[in-house]
Amino acid sequence: MLKPSQQYVIDVYHDDSAMAHALVSTIKQLRLTKRIREHAIERWHAQLQPTHTTLVVTEQPTLELLVALNCPQQLLVIPQTYKFPRHRHWQGDYLRWPARVPELMHRLQLTVSNFNMQRQLSAVRESLVWHTQRVEREYELIEHIFRNALSRNFLEYQHIRTLVAPAAKFNGDLCLVAPGPLGNLYVMLADFTGHGLAPATGALPLSQAFFAMADRSVAIAEMVTEFNYRLHHLLPHEMFCACIVLELSANGERLSYWNGGMPPAIVYSTTGEIKHQLHAQHLALGVLSNDEFDQQVSTIKTTSTDCIALYTDGVIEMLGQNREFFGLDALQALLQKYPNPTQFEQLVASLEKFRGTQPLQDDLSLAVLQCCPTGLALPEVQTELQSLPFTFATELHPVDLQRVDVVSTIVGLLSRLPALHGHRTTLYLLLAEVYNNALEHGLLRLDSRMKNDPEGFAYYYQLRAERLAALTSGSVTIALTYDHSRHYLTCCVRNSGASWQLPEQLGTFDQSQPYGRGLELLQQLAERLEWRDEGREIEFGYQLPPRL
Amino acid sequence: MSVIRHLSNDGKELTISIHGKFDFNLVNDFRRAYSSIGDEKPLVYIDLRETEYLDSSALGMLLNMRKALSDNVRGIHIINCRPEVKNILDISRFDKLFTIE
Repeated sequence: MLKPSQQYVIDVYHDDSAMAHALVSTIKQLRLTKRIREHAIERWHAQLQPTHTTLVVTEQPTLELLVALNCPQQLLVIPQTYKFPRHRHWQGDYLRWPARVPELMHRLQLTVSNFNMQRQLSAVRESLVWHTQRVEREYELIEHIFRNALSRNFLEYQHIRTLVAPAAKFNGDLCLVAPGPLGNLYVMLADFTGHGLAPATGALPLSQAFFAMADRSVAIAEMVTEFNYRLHHLLPHEMFCACIVLELSANGERLSYWNGGMPPAIVYSTTGEIKHQLHAQHLALGVLSNDEFDQQVSTIKTTSTDCIALYTDGVIEMLGQNREFFGLDALQALLQKYPNPTQFEQLVASLEKFRGTQPLQDDLSLAVLQCCPTGLALPEVQTELQSLPFTFATELHPVDLQRVDVVSTIVGLLSRLPALHGHRTTLYLLLAEVYNNALEHGLLRLDSRMKNDPEGFAYYYQLRAERLAALTSGSVTIALTYDHSRHYLTCCVRNSGASWQLPEQLGTFDQSQPYGRGLELLQQLAERLEWRDEGREIEFGYQLPPRL
Repeated sequence: MSVIRHLSNDGKELTISIHGKFDFNLVNDFRRAYSSIGDEKPLVYIDLRETEYLDSSALGMLLNMRKALSDNVRGIHIINCRPEVKNILDISRFDKLFTIE
């Protein structure tokens, strides 16, 4: 029963008939509603979005009314005597007036509750639409981020072919390719637990680390240690990342790999011979803490007629038409059937054929790399570098010589200059040779012949450390002058110590002798090598070549 | 660590990587890195990809290693040299004593 306390509003559209007035006054007397709003029936139309429970009262309903009022949140009230048009089996709800009070109340209650339900339903529907749009918008943003994160992916490398088929919108598999500055090539195939957005998220930190480290030509043992460190911190316990990382040397003859939890990569020749299976020797990334993590890398020899197939378990666990697994043997047979990378399309077509109309149960990725010389040219930077002429001079006393790594410090300074940065390794070598000569022979009076055998070699440097620590007098002076117009560096190193005799056999030294090589290198790399003041002062010039 | 050593599980490859500066400061670390090589006559890789600086003492250390290992390894390869490092090794004619990749 409706109670007078229930506060609701009813809209009544009526034709101003006696019947309508009788109905309205009955409802008013029953005090069922907070308010009754009366409207002329002409103002009612089929597209009206009712804001309250609505009654339509008329002695003679129009056809439009009969069709449009077939909805549960509005109630049509018609006279007892009204006959529906013949052949129209109208299904809509109606109340004949006059009606008894209990029936009127019951019907009003039904209409009110229908109206409320309808209103809740549209609210839910609107909120669903809003949420769907929001999710779609977020997917677009995430796809954009993924596209950017993977924009450096070198999938167009001419000797690799890849198939990447996600089971859901986002891919939990990740196939990355990047060139290293040494002409080497890195390939990584990773498979996060599960599929969809959550595992795909892990691709972001992993790919950023991969590209940054490939740029620096980092060894894969260090790469995987870094990946593991990051994922171990980021991923929840139940999530991890199976992963294989390869590095192919620039000449294509050496392939190093680390396989954590991935199915065995297959090495085969273009004639169809299966040569190796590179089985996982490690747990997946993100499982172990770095203390327990094993970064051990393996290496195999390869030739330009060798190929390697990397794939995720989605390939061998793919279900076929008859719900059977594809399997490793079938994959090997397929690789033997299409061993040439140019037949990759046929290989993929065969996989598709096996699957038929079965939906993908898991993300599926396959990459075939041919172990050719990579032909990835080193980035040649031949820009005209602006530079200023400069002079640098320093006089070093025992306390400096003991405390400071002199050569590293000076080369560190010099290599900050763009014009010299690309030559820092050679500059280091040249400066190290003359400085060490001045310190070891001039001030510390060490004899290189001591270095003739491995024990003596170590002893020599032990003695160097002892005598340096005990040094109380003497100095080394270093002066550098850079002529920017000729791109020419002049270096003069002087010590205040003993005179020193240039070895006579210079230039004819024994190749396998572990000392005397420094002077030979100086002669080869530097110009105008001059010894003055009985060997206490050495000067040389260095013509900076175009960047090596 | 400036000297990192990996001996493969099957004992057939020994990789020694030198980071940063390769000179006499590493004399003991470097010797230790090749002191136990097992009985499998491994192939030795000296990975110089992260070697920024080296001087003649590094060359002496490589020669001492060669002397110490000669009959117990299948070969010594110096790999991943940056162009300047490669140039220094070439001038020292190390290509006659090692395989330089």
